[in-house]
Amino acid sequence: MDSNQLINLNQRIQSLLIEALQIPAEQATSDLQFGDLPQWDSMGHMEVMIYLENEFGIEINPETISNLTSFSTIRQYLQDHGHV
Amino acid sequence: MFKFEDNYGLDITPRIKIPGHLVGEVQSKLAYVDEQIYKAEVDTLGEHIHLDFHQPLEQSELVTIEAKVQRVVEKMVQGTIKPKIVVLENHMDRVTPNNTDPTSELYSLGEIYQEADGIYSLGPMLSRLIDFFEQQFLSLAKFFNATPYRFPTLIPAKYLEQVNYFQAFPHSLTFVTHLREDLDVIDHFAEEASCKEDSLTTDMGSFDKIQTLLSPAVCYHLYFALAGKTLTNESLAATSVSNCFRYESINLDSLERMWNFTMREVIFVGSKDYVLENREIARQEMEPFFEQLGLAYRVETANDPFFIGEFRKQAAFQSAFQLKFEIRASLPFKKSTLAIGSYNYHQDFFGRNLNINLSDGSPVHTGCVAFGLERVAFAFLAQYGIDPNNWPSIVREYVN
Repeated sequence: MDSNQLINLNQRIQSLLIEALQIPAEQATSDLQFGDLPQWDSMGHMEVMIYLENEFGIEINPETISNLTSFSTIRQYLQDHGHV
Repeated sequence: MFKFEDNYGLDITPRIKIPGHLVGEVQSKLAYVDEQIYKAEVDTLGEHIHLDFHQPLEQSELVTIEAKVQRVVEKMVQGTIKPKIVVLENHMDRVTPNNTDPTSELYSLGEIYQEADGIYSLGPMLSRLIDFFEQQFLSLAKFFNATPYRFPTLIPAKYLEQVNYFQAFPHSLTFVTHLREDLDVIDHFAEEASCKEDSLTTDMGSFDKIQTLLSPAVCYHLYFALAGKTLTNESLAATSVSNCFRYESINLDSLERMWNFTMREVIFVGSKDYVLENREIARQEMEPFFEQLGLAYRVETANDPFFIGEFRKQAAFQSAFQLKFEIRASLPFKKSTLAIGSYNYHQDFFGRNLNINLSDGSPVHTGCVAFGLERVAFAFLAQYGIDPNNWPSIVREYVN
C-alpha cells in the first residue's frame, strides 16, 4: 500500500467514525479506541460495525465485533483484507 | 400479509423470515405490540406468527396490529448478527428422576399461591428449599469475603435514567406513585376507592408524579452508592439479596417467569482483570455444587432481553464480548431450559456513567453473579419432583 492509499484509507475510517459516533473530526484521531469517548460505548460500537459493513462490505460476525475496537485495529483489518 | 381468524385471532406472514436464534426473542416481544394480545406464537421456522386477542377486533385494528408486528420483526431481525454460542459447561446429560411439571402439585399442596399475574406467595417447603440454595450462594459470597449490603426495593427514576435503563428495558419497568399531598384528594380516595376487575377506579390525576420505580436488579444499588467515589482499596466484593421486579406481560408464567422475584448477587467492582478473574472463579466454585446436586444444566453465552429498538445492537455486543453467561437448567417436562443464574461482566459501563474510579483515575469495571432464587427452586423441582424421598440427600436433610 502506498502512502496515498494509506492516507485515503485513514480518511475513510475517520469519516466513518465521525458519522457512526456523531463526533467532531478532531476527536476521530488515529489513536481513538472503544471507551475513549462516551459516544463509543456498546451502542456506538455497533453503529461503527454497521457503518463498516456498509462502507467496506465487511461481514460482521462476533469475532469482528470484539476485535475491531480501535482506529488502528480497524485499519489493520481493512489492510489485511485488501480494502484500500 | 395476514388473514383473519374470526377476528379473535390473526395469522401473519412476516415480510422477513425470523432466523431460528431469534424466534423466542421476537415471540416474547410480541406481547408488547398491543394490549389486546393475550397469546403470541412464532413457528419454529420463523415464517408464521399467530396472535390471539381478548375480544374480536375491527379490520382496521387488525391492519394496525399487523403493521406493528412487521415493524417489530424488521427492527429485531434486519441486519441481525447470529450470535456465536460459547458453552463453558454442559451437564445436560445428567439423568434426573422427574419429567412432569411440578406447578399443579405445588398449587394443590398450598406451596404456591398466586396473588395476581406474576405475583406468588410460597409455602414452607419451597421456602426451606430456597433457604438451602441461599446457604450455598452465601458460601460463595463468603469465599470471596464479600461485604454484605441491604438494598431498597424502590429505586429512583433518575438512577435508572443515568444507566440508560429506559432505552434498554422500557417494557419491563414497574412504576411507583402515591396520592398527591392534597387533603381533598386523599379524603376522596378514602371514601371512593374501589377495584373494578382488579384495577383501582381512582382517577390518575389523584396520583403524584412518578419519581420512583420498583428495582429491577440488585447490583445497581451498589453502583449508585459508589457513584462519584474513588475505590480506595482498588477492589470490592459485595453481596446482597433483594426483591426484583420485571414486568413480562403475557410471558409471565408460574415460578418460571415472575413479575416479583428474588435475586442473590455477588458483585465485583475493580479493575478489568479483577472482575473477569473473579467472575470465572465464581463459575468454577459453583460447578462442584451443581454436580453434587446432580443438576442437569449448561453454562453458555447469552444476552439480556433488550427491547425491540436496542435489541439487535445490544444483544450482538453482549454476545460478541461474552459479557453474559447464563446457567440454564433443564426443564425435562417441556424439553427446554430455564435461566437460573448468570455470570455477568459490565465492562466499565457503570464506572464511566457513574464516575466510579480506581486510584489511577480510570473507571472501575464491574460484574456480578446472580441467582434467581425461585427459578433455582423451580428447576430443581422440575428435575427431582416434589417428593423429598427422590431428592439428593444434601437437600433432603436440609429441608427436613
